[in-house]
Amino acid sequence: MDLGYIVDANKKFQKELNSGTAALVLLSVLGRAKEPMYGYQIAKMIETKNEAVPMMKQGALYPVLRSLENSGLLESHVDPSVSGPPRRYYTITPSGRETLNSWLEIWNHTKAFVDGLLTGGQND
Amino acid sequence: MIKTVDEYLDQLKDALSGSDPALIQDALSDAEEYLLTAQESAQAEHPHLAKKESLQHIIDKYGAPQEIASAYREAEPFMAPSSAATKKLAKQSFLTRYFGVISDPRAWGASLYAIMSFLTGIIYGLWVLFGISLTLITLLLIIGIPVTGLFLLSVRGIALMEGRIVEALLGVRMPRKPVFVSRELGWKEKFKSLITDSHTWKSLLYMILHFPLGLVLGGITLVLFSFSLKAILYPLLDGVFGRPLITLGSQAFHTSPWLFPLVSAAGIMLFALTLHFIKMIGSIYGRFAKAILVKK
Repeated sequence: MDLGYIVDANKKFQKELNSGTAALVLLSVLGRAKEPMYGYQIAKMIETKNEAVPMMKQGALYPVLRSLENSGLLESHVDPSVSGPPRRYYTITPSGRETLNSWLEIWNHTKAFVDGLLTGGQND
Repeated sequence: MIKTVDEYLDQLKDALSGSDPALIQDALSDAEEYLLTAQESAQAEHPHLAKKESLQHIIDKYGAPQEIASAYREAEPFMAPSSAATKKLAKQSFLTRYFGVISDPRAWGASLYAIMSFLTGIIYGLWVLFGISLTLITLLLIIGIPVTGLFLLSVRGIALMEGRIVEALLGVRMPRKPVFVSRELGWKEKFKSLITDSHTWKSLLYMILHFPLGLVLGGITLVLFSFSLKAILYPLLDGVFGRPLITLGSQAFHTSPWLFPLVSAAGIMLFALTLHFIKMIGSIYGRFAKAILVKK
């Protein structure tokens, strides 16, 4: 089989997985955060936790943050920074926490189901 | 190769051309926040590294303008203002649709906006009058330039706030952050860009136009609402307090008591009609505000 095709297929698969999980990842990062975080901080934090997987471009996290805010799962405020540009700080809302819990449940079910299929393969 | 943050922002703007202007402004502010912060921390960690090279590395991580533009486009449907989510449900009967407006948040938002614009129209009008006369007087003196700058900055600030009100009450997506101005500019260049930027003058034009339009919009809304409320309560007003339905000059018009329920019913009809009307005017006004206040 053509090698280029496999690389493309891999990229596409990774991209789809990333865009499917980005909202869960961002919500859970903010769910654990002790204080409000801004985009660059969040991107760096995800980067340090993940060196093996080619995560989506860090800039693509921002529109996800905005759409989570629009759905009421996050809220934000803009603060001027000492030297740089003003920063938008995000915090999770109570309904964001609730959503995170149900998303974690869905995630665990899905993970168990996929793992079961990949490793088990028993037909009983 | 992209050499400066401004160059990146220009390319991102081009890549997003044709999208909602408010979305473009969001994307530019986000990119600016990330790129400048990353550049700052890269400089702090590796002071010997050339700015150009570190920017290239930062852009590799953030994503090329094309990639980022498509990420914003994909997310756009989820970024619509929340009140715009009120979509028409399945086919409903005429009566349900006619009176359904009473529970429509857009209609109430537009009504609140219309009543508020009576007040904001006066405030904007007075502020522009005050600002322009102060500017003209002080321009003869040496303090004219800072006064002009401060006045124009206030116009931009008010325009952004008006945009937030328009988005909240009229459901039209408007900018969420101030217009992007490069931080590397000195105060002279900043002043120059404030003066030469058409956005400043459009904001001023909006404030001037909002004065008469706000008065008319607010006035019509108040008259229609108060008249329909009066009609609804007419049986009580006439029956108990002997107040007329309409007064023209010294002539007062009353209806016979058996018509009271009809007048009340007409009042309810007029109330719903007013909500429909204001909702329609609100959506036209929202488009008008967007055309003038959003930087292209």
